[in-house]
Formats: sequence, structure tokens, C-alpha cells
Amino acid sequence: MASFPKAGADTVLWNAGADAHDNISARTYGFWLYLLSDALIIAAVFATYAVLNNPMNAAGGPLGSQFLSASKGMLQTFIVLGSVLCYSLATVALKRGSKLGVSLGMIGAILLAVVFLGIGLGDLTALSAAGDGFARSGYLSCFFTLIVTHALHMGFGILWMLVMLVQVGVFGFTENVVARLLNLRMFWQFQASVWVVVYIYVYLFGGAH
Amino acid sequence: MAAHNDPLAHPEVRQGSVLRYIAGFVTSGAAMYFAYVQAMGHHPVVELLEILGGALLFSLITQAALFFGLDASRAQIWKSISLILTVPLFLVIIGITVWAFASLYGRTMPDPAIMNSMSM
Repeated sequence: MASFPKAGADTVLWNAGADAHDNISARTYGFWLYLLSDALIIAAVFATYAVLNNPMNAAGGPLGSQFLSASKGMLQTFIVLGSVLCYSLATVALKRGSKLGVSLGMIGAILLAVVFLGIGLGDLTALSAAGDGFARSGYLSCFFTLIVTHALHMGFGILWMLVMLVQVGVFGFTENVVARLLNLRMFWQFQASVWVVVYIYVYLFGGAH
Repeated sequence: MAAHNDPLAHPEVRQGSVLRYIAGFVTSGAAMYFAYVQAMGHHPVVELLEILGGALLFSLITQAALFFGLDASRAQIWKSISLILTVPLFLVIIGITVWAFASLYGRTMPDPAIMNSMSM
């Protein structure tokens, strides 16, 4: 039979400095893995776009080089980066526990995101009105899918921010609310990362050659 | 990582920085503007692809470091590693698909000019 030392005054029953379960880190890491899987879905749409971006798949309809505006896309790029900056600054105000700062940052991010979506969806509406809608060709189906997928993400982010505005006001900075605000920060920054890929590949490379 | 009674003391909350976020906005925006100016110029397709790809890579790396705050710190190391492990999947998904179809089109698709002449 094994023998154990008897408990004495120097017996350590627990390590006060040991790692405990960290709910916020667990939630942000889980959400980060979701974002990576979301990025893979968007990569699949990019791969499809790359395959369909040729005259044969335009079926007599327009390609991006005929209707995309690089300067308007540049404007959208700065708007989406500005929106991400606003939300990121809101989380700097979170460090100080400032409800006003967090709310103002989120409102600025929402307003810029609405302008961004207005420009993008306005372009898609004009394209459809001219007879070059989603069903016109394989190329346009993929173009619409790519732009609308990003727009849906932006729209969901706006909805999430509206919910968080209420939660910050009602609950304050509880553990749950802070974890959601951190996840939303990653989600919103992710939208800028996706958009710069769209801008470079679809608007600049696709429009320039 | 030790648990925090005060959620605002969490490392991911404390990592927020005005300077870092503004630097992220400026560098990423500058890379996109550089790419825009280059695309408006007259470059051969391959050269333009290299320039735009470089600007995109620069922009994404600055966003990862300055917006997402990815680094080798204890709070962020597993996010950084999972991203690095996912990057090859992006290359596989996009690269192999494009390569396969570029090769397939050349071998299987009829030339549109020939199809048009046949229908007359």
C-alpha cells in the first residue's frame, strides 16, 4: 500500500495563482474559430468568382470591368475602414467603463455602415434595373452572391450593434456584455478584411484588365 | 489565464489602443490607395497582379496586427496559431480551384468565336 505524507502546516491545498476557467477568453476564441470558418466560406465564393470571371460565363452580359467604378469602391473602402475604426475606438472607451464612449463609437460605426450599404445596394439595384441582375449570367450570379454575402454580414453587424446599444444601457458592462462586445469587435474588423480582398480582386484587378 | 472578477480588467479589453487602431486605419487605407493608383496606371497583367497582391497582403497583415491585435502574447497566441494554420486552406481552396478550371476551360470549352460562326 502506498504511503502518503501526513498533512501539516506546510500542506498546500490549492494554488491561488493557478489558471481558472476564463469565460471571456473561451467565448472570444470560439467566436474566432467561427470567423475562420466563415472566411473559408467566403474563400469558396472568391474561388467561384475567379472561375466565372470571363466572357464565356458573362453570356453576352457585362463583366465587372464594364460596370464597376474603382473610385466609388475606394470611397466604400475608406467608409468601411472608418466604421471599423469607430467601433474599435468604442472598445477603447470600454477600458474606461464609459457607456457614453462605447455608445457613441457604435453609433458612428452604424452610420458609416449604413452609408456603405446604401452605396453598394444602390449599385446592385441599378444593375438589376438595367436588365443585368442576378439571373443574367453565371458571372453576375457570382458577383451578386459575393457582394450580397458581404452586405448581409454588414447588415447583421448593424443589428448586433443596435442590440448591444440596448444591452450596454440596460445591463452595463457585465461579463456577458463585455464578451459580446469583444466578439462584435472581431466580427466588425473581419468585415474590413473581407472588403479589402473584394476591392483589390473584384474592383481593381477585375476592373483594370 | 487567471479569472477576472472585473470583466473590464480582462486582457482582451485592456489591449484596446487608440494609437494602434488609428495606425491600422491609416496603413490599411494607404495600402488600398496605393493599389488604386497603380490599377489606374498601365501595367502588364502579371505585374499588376503582383502589385495588387502585395498591397493586399500588406493591408491584411497590418489589420491582423493592429486591428485584431494578433501577436504571440498569452492572450492571443492561439488565435494567431489558428489563423496561421487556416491560411494554407485559403490557398488550397482558391488556388487549386482556379488552376483546375483554367486548365479545364482550355481543354473542354469551345471557342465562342467558332460557336458564333456555326450558328450563322
